[in-house]
Amino acid sequence: MAIALLDSVIDDLAAICGPDHVFSGRSAVFNRARVPAPFPAHRWEDHVPSAVVLPTSAQQVSEVVKLANEHRIPVVPRAGGTGLTDGAVPLRHGILVDVKLMNQILELDHANRTVTVGPGINMLKLNEELRKHGYIYPDNPASYPCSLVGGRIGTSGWSLIGARYGHTRDLVISFEIVLPTGEIIRVGDGGGPKVRKSSSGYQLKHLFMGHQGTLGIVTEATLELVPRPEAEFSMFFSYQDYMDAWRATGDLARSGVATLAGVVLFDEWKIKYLRRDDEAYIPQPDSVKGVVACACYGNADEVRVGAKRLLRIGKASGGGYMGDEISQGDWASRHDRYATPQHGRTRDGQVALMSWHCEDASIPYPELPVVREKWHAIAQSLCDRSDMFDDWGMFAYTNGAYKPWGDYLAEVDIGIWEMKWDDESWAAWVDAKRELARVSIEHGGSISACHGSCREGEVDLVPVELGGGFEVMKTIKRSLDPNNIMNPGKYLLDQAYEEE
Amino acid sequence: MLGFRLSAEKPPEAERVNDVVVSRFEHVYEIDPALMTEHVRQQDIPNWDFRRIVDSRWEHLAWMHDHFADSILSGEELLAEIEKED
Amino acid sequence: MADRIASEEATNGRRNGLPEEFFEEWRDVAYNCFSSGHKFCREVCPVMQVTRDERHTPTAFHANVVAMEKGHLSLEDVAEDYVHCTMCGACELRCPNTLFTGDFYRFRQRTIDVVKAVRAAAVEKGIHQKNWKRWAELTDRWGNEPVLGWTRETSGSKVRAWATGLDIPTGGGTVLFADCEAAFNRPSVPRAVALLLRAGGVEFGLMDQQWCCGGPMWETGYVEIAHKMAEHNMLDWRKTGTKRIICPDPHDYITIIENYPLLDSNFDEFEIVLAVDLIAELIREGKLELTTPVQRTVTYHDPCRLNKRMGVWQSPREILRAIPGLTFIDVDHVTQWSYCSGAGSNLWVEKPELTAEISRRRVTKAKELEGVDALVSACPWSERPLTEQGDAQGLEVFDIFELVAEAAGFEV
Repeated sequence: MAIALLDSVIDDLAAICGPDHVFSGRSAVFNRARVPAPFPAHRWEDHVPSAVVLPTSAQQVSEVVKLANEHRIPVVPRAGGTGLTDGAVPLRHGILVDVKLMNQILELDHANRTVTVGPGINMLKLNEELRKHGYIYPDNPASYPCSLVGGRIGTSGWSLIGARYGHTRDLVISFEIVLPTGEIIRVGDGGGPKVRKSSSGYQLKHLFMGHQGTLGIVTEATLELVPRPEAEFSMFFSYQDYMDAWRATGDLARSGVATLAGVVLFDEWKIKYLRRDDEAYIPQPDSVKGVVACACYGNADEVRVGAKRLLRIGKASGGGYMGDEISQGDWASRHDRYATPQHGRTRDGQVALMSWHCEDASIPYPELPVVREKWHAIAQSLCDRSDMFDDWGMFAYTNGAYKPWGDYLAEVDIGIWEMKWDDESWAAWVDAKRELARVSIEHGGSISACHGSCREGEVDLVPVELGGGFEVMKTIKRSLDPNNIMNPGKYLLDQAYEEE
Repeated sequence: MLGFRLSAEKPPEAERVNDVVVSRFEHVYEIDPALMTEHVRQQDIPNWDFRRIVDSRWEHLAWMHDHFADSILSGEELLAEIEKED
Repeated sequence: MADRIASEEATNGRRNGLPEEFFEEWRDVAYNCFSSGHKFCREVCPVMQVTRDERHTPTAFHANVVAMEKGHLSLEDVAEDYVHCTMCGACELRCPNTLFTGDFYRFRQRTIDVVKAVRAAAVEKGIHQKNWKRWAELTDRWGNEPVLGWTRETSGSKVRAWATGLDIPTGGGTVLFADCEAAFNRPSVPRAVALLLRAGGVEFGLMDQQWCCGGPMWETGYVEIAHKMAEHNMLDWRKTGTKRIICPDPHDYITIIENYPLLDSNFDEFEIVLAVDLIAELIREGKLELTTPVQRTVTYHDPCRLNKRMGVWQSPREILRAIPGLTFIDVDHVTQWSYCSGAGSNLWVEKPELTAEISRRRVTKAKELEGVDALVSACPWSERPLTEQGDAQGLEVFDIFELVAEAAGFEV
């Protein structure tokens, strides 16, 4: 059960944020416990905060954090709560700082090509406004219509079109953050809030990108304004063999086309899964064992020329163009593409409503085929163990910023019949999760390209992945958060305090 | 008929497409209802509501294209050009 | 706390005040949302755009059902949260569980039904919202909703006062169902529709005693009163052999087609028609001529129950484009999935400041469009708060039929 806060603390919070923005009622806390990642619903009470505040200024956030330090109460920042690594899931109850009211556009600077916003704003809603001025903010994850800028910084998000426009860490120029001890500082490249590149002092922006709310709470961010694309081009090619598709992916990624925004590789398991209910894949012949999709954005003349080059590569790779309807329709569906529970199937083919695990490792291109085999073996052993697991196949997406070659965001999707959890199945899941992460590390990759790696199972291997870097991580955590109040328990960072 | 009449809203008979998919309306697929009997049951969705979902999906996708860029290039047209050039 | 509630209720077989049948019916659809948790609904929700409070999200509306089944929450904990919804339908349409796979599986998100069910369960358990309770009592007593305030009776006989001087017969094969809000508060709307239908050659009558369609009763949880309204109305139709019912108000239309068939096994004898579709057809077929120019620059508000709930967005635009002299600046109907007047499901009766803010934002959006001097809607319920905010911001608000009547040379 939630640790109740002292009445005097609730009163202090109300004095800081206003009584209308402080909640300790059950519905307020039970509805801020989870994120879309598979959730131990059988232990829901373990993850509720004690109280929730909805601040409207950095000053309020700072005072709440100082109060929390005084009383040694944990603080958990929450933007959209749409992340996939449990960054926003409270592990020790405490005060949940929900930044959704801080969703204004604060400044539009045409001369410097920046827009400054609150952390509670969503990218799609922002772009509906920016469009009027001929701009776009092209940070485009699968959660594009619902994730918020604060969370994008908290996770160091990935964008579907990052190979062209960069990812969150490239598109966020600078931001204001309340440190775990309450100081409000601004970080960027150097000091000027609209400077894109600096070598003055330590480059602190990068430290906080992906901190999962363990190093503070973002209260404002200054973002890039990109010219709205004149043209979009997307193409889907099908292959009779996964390895042909994999090779074609590499060819497209190395094409040198400047407007190329992303390449996506679908494996055989993913095609099989999409045949269940996706109108684009149901009619595909059984011989289709791989699909490659790519898209370009930019000035119409440049996109046209780039598109023809890519189409030639597609043809030469032995793939079959899947037609405009699929190429355009399926691409458009990728801007908001979280799984729906009806995709789940039991062994006898019956529909079961399943939650969605989305692995998101960074895997070097040459390792993709073998990682796919190992991951599917792990998924299969889960499926063999119980009907509550289901293998939904793999994607691989270009992962580099401004460059389509290099490593890939390798995604294996596993359906989990959440309502069947018990402690035993949860433990088996955690073990499998750890094994998936181990494969990524063993093949020169990273456990997570963009969600973060805070979850049970994978987090155990973070010290393995980072090596000596993990010691540095602990040192930084301990210096910035001496009382261990900022999202405590994440990333094994309690270890930072054990020597004391 | 312009308005709503209950009998006109009953879904038509399903035709088989493959061993797990059926179809009642042209170009629209549906799951074989036999696969939704044990763990989750289907809902009663009248034809007007069904049509609304299908149409809305295409309208949403068109909106997404327009949200990101002013125009879309056609792969089929460009391939035809490439054929002529090569 | 949760244990105490669970054990208290366990003895009489009801979990947290809810019968097992409730969970049997809503478990799947609630879990469907809870397990996805992706929240694509949130930014299109008009309430969430204002409050930013996760208790008011469609996600929470479903998660609460799961939580109540598990004994973590009680109806008392959440009843007030469920007030925060206009039942606009944006969430359940935008949700990928509907938009991408709802048709394939014949299983879609049904947030509106979930909210209705929880509100009804609260009422059954004696948990009332103060103003909704009063509204329901007066609707029951008078036959129509208290749209003129708590003390001015809106009876079944007074509801046709708007038709004075029009010599409309009672009953007959086709009946015009003039929604109570419009009949009492914006009589220009039913008058406009009546004159236009007549000019278009459509014969129709008015009900002897038209009662509230029952919609707001279903929406706010007063199901028995809703049934009473519906049964009375169908009896009234049958008295004079009515076969076709024309609805100018989308709220009436959707209430009738979604609920009445479940109460009456012979409902197939009735045809229910949207006035906006009928009038668009009359214009298209040349039966209704619009010859008086209307020199205005307008933009159109897609009423939620027309656009999101029913996919009706073409007829009104066709009508506006047929009005001579009118400059029509459109905002597409998909962008308008995230728009709302805030009036739906009687939100304004319980949370007037929330409806006012939702409407304020809607009017502001219209004002931002260059040259626009009026906002046109096709739903009298939306026109109430929109007109109020329009007055405050200096923007005129019309019902579409008022403009069509003007273009047809009528004064309403």
